[in-house]
Amino acid sequence: MRGLLATMGNAFAEARANRAALGSQMAVMVLNDVVWVVFWVLFFRRVGSVGGWDARRILLLLAVLTTAGGITLGLLANARRIGTMAVEGELDAVLTLPVAPLPYLLLRRVEPTNLGDLLFGVCLFVLSGRPTLGRTAVFVGVVLASATLITGFLVLTGSLAFFLGRSEGGDLGFHAIVLLGSYPVDVFAGVAKVLLYSVVPAAFVSTVPATLIDSFDAGRAAALAAVAGAFGLAGWATFTAGLRRYTSGSLWTRA
Amino acid sequence: MIATWFLVTLRTEARRVTAERGGLVVAVVFYVVVVAVLAGLWRVAAATNGGTIAGYSAVALTWYIATSEAAVVALNIRMIDDIGRAIGSGAVAVELLRPVPVLALRVAAELGRSLPRLAACVGTGVVVATVSGGAPPRPATLALAGPSLVLAVACNIVAQHAFAAIAFWIRDAGSAWFLYQKLVFIIGGMLIPLEALPGWLHALANALPFRAMAYAPARLASGHFEPRLLVEQAAWLGVLLVAAGAVFRAGERRLQVVGG
Repeated sequence: MRGLLATMGNAFAEARANRAALGSQMAVMVLNDVVWVVFWVLFFRRVGSVGGWDARRILLLLAVLTTAGGITLGLLANARRIGTMAVEGELDAVLTLPVAPLPYLLLRRVEPTNLGDLLFGVCLFVLSGRPTLGRTAVFVGVVLASATLITGFLVLTGSLAFFLGRSEGGDLGFHAIVLLGSYPVDVFAGVAKVLLYSVVPAAFVSTVPATLIDSFDAGRAAALAAVAGAFGLAGWATFTAGLRRYTSGSLWTRA
Repeated sequence: MIATWFLVTLRTEARRVTAERGGLVVAVVFYVVVVAVLAGLWRVAAATNGGTIAGYSAVALTWYIATSEAAVVALNIRMIDDIGRAIGSGAVAVELLRPVPVLALRVAAELGRSLPRLAACVGTGVVVATVSGGAPPRPATLALAGPSLVLAVACNIVAQHAFAAIAFWIRDAGSAWFLYQKLVFIIGGMLIPLEALPGWLHALANALPFRAMAYAPARLASGHFEPRLLVEQAAWLGVLLVAAGAVFRAGERRLQVVGG
């Protein structure tokens, strides 16, 4: 555990080393997120509401998504690189260390750009999420569940590269979960809706958490926790199984 | 001679992309997911607004999104970042040794990489739009949308080079691609038809080149017979080429490479 904490400390120190770059990269991502807010505001200004979703609710959804995405892609930045590292044989150095490989990999790198997402998400919730003590507590809980789910899903899809020999599946998983998570699932119907609650669990990444903040329901919260836990475990299991098939690339990298 | 180099580079890169089936498949799958989601959203929105939004029916919106997304997904999303790295690291110096302008060579390579992806996305998009939305609102306009898509991709590639050339001065264009991309998304009409924007933003979008990169082919594919859009795109392509050429020439004069 001490080793992992030291790893995380190093990752932060690295990110902080170039303060100007850290600030500008975070600012760019905040600006990027603001554009999405602009799009949704323009959209709902034109159409009113869709499937029970209006501008206020969609901003809450964005707050959850960007905060959870910021945690995964900012603080656990290697989550989206598992597939590439597996295929290109970049895990040699990690396997020699006296720590569990997956937690080490996840904590090894901080991505300053996505820390902007984290900052933006929290600010958006404070500004538009009508924060009370109760709503803030639910926000924190659902964001952590959502971040666990995104991380588990990215590790799972990335680890498929150990078996398939290609990393495109991980890239696709990343784009799919982020893209689909940024839309309210209630506007979809039929098979698409079923898929968004199962194969690509985007519904549990943002729609369900945002709904829980507005109207908390114990059953739905338990379902969110269960799905997040299941994907977390599935990611861990797939990575562990995949490591047995890992082939060294004779590359000594810092992962 | 430049024309020969241009065509050879274009053909070589196109063959390379076609040979890498995995990358092509990922691009197409990503495109299908984006179109399914975004077009689905607009169809639901149209249905709850009496069947049309800003003059576009649900079917027209489906074809609009399928086309605007094809024009953008066909390109390397981080092109500005890649060009900036090549300039910032000095790698571009090797390209200066060739007997053709760096800009021409790079545009040819990017065009070669993008066209196979564009063809794959368009082929898939026609199927997705027909199945999910319905037959094209006015099939004749698709004949204009084809060349318009190629012009859109060309305008986008040249404009990204003009943007990325900032790296000659600040040695890093890493952040510029995020901002550029968002301009194409909103005032380029990729996510939302320009007619659905508020008046002032619509007027601003009409005055800028980004509408040539997504809106123009999408507007045509959504059943609007407006050949002037092709003329407008060709004009913007000319302006962007002149601008990118000037910026590259000025940048190349101040390029300093240490070591190798």
